[in-house]
Amino acid sequence: MTPVTRTPFERARTILLAALGAAAIVAAPGAAAGPARHTVTIDATAFTPADLTVKAGDTVIWVNKDPYPHTATSKTGGFDSDDIKTGKSWKFVAKKKGDFPYICSIHPSMKGTLHVQ
Amino acid sequence: MKASVLVFAGSLLLPAASFAQGINDAQIAKIVVTANQVDIDAGKLASSKSTNPEVKKFAQTMVTDHAGVNKQAVDLVTKLGVKPEDNDTAKSLADGGKANLDNLKTLKGKDFDKAYIDHEVAYHQAVLDAVDKTLIPGAKNDQLKALLVKVRPAFVAHLDHAKHIQGTLSK
Repeated sequence: MTPVTRTPFERARTILLAALGAAAIVAAPGAAAGPARHTVTIDATAFTPADLTVKAGDTVIWVNKDPYPHTATSKTGGFDSDDIKTGKSWKFVAKKKGDFPYICSIHPSMKGTLHVQ
Repeated sequence: MKASVLVFAGSLLLPAASFAQGINDAQIAKIVVTANQVDIDAGKLASSKSTNPEVKKFAQTMVTDHAGVNKQAVDLVTKLGVKPEDNDTAKSLADGGKANLDNLKTLKGKDFDKAYIDHEVAYHQAVLDAVDKTLIPGAKNDQLKALLVKVRPAFVAHLDHAKHIQGTLSK
């Protein structure tokens, strides 16, 4: 078998890939045990899912896939994303328990509900 | 004013219905771009001229949303190599848009707000009708059809919003 000769660059890359792999293995169980992340997609002027149930401490991310801005705004839930531009997202850590109806303040006919348990 | 809105709304639909079968994607592209531009122009005028915060905010939303739709539409037809082709529906939209602007420029205060919002209600109803009866059924390219389906609910939201403001203005 011919010994493999590696350039410093290739060695560095191997070390980097190994490190990334290790980081992924370490991160995975941690993520599963901690608060969850939920995504609400904003597409075709609608929140999907419109009805989302999460645990207190979880993170909810609204992702806007429409070609115009939207918001996720709840008076009772105490959250307001302000404008989420095309292709952008907004994160919210749901701490308060309860059922929180929300709308898009730009398009008030868009409705969703966040249930925090 | 009411009569001119109705005449205009009718003029948008008649040519559309007359060539619903034969419409091509290049003509649809021109209608989409023109329909959005007409509402952007009215929105720009209203956002600068109205003194009612709700009307101003609505007008600004019209400018932002219809510009967003147009950007996607232009990006798509450019990618597809479709060159927008003028047609009777696009022409009547542009003429109707100009007539509306000319009328709005003569008005101010509450009369302006009422005329702008009344026209927005009639316009979005007419555009939705054209989207449902002519543009979506007529679109041959799947991506063009998908874009029309995707943006349609925003026009419904605009119509609902305009009707809500119309209700508050008449009080």
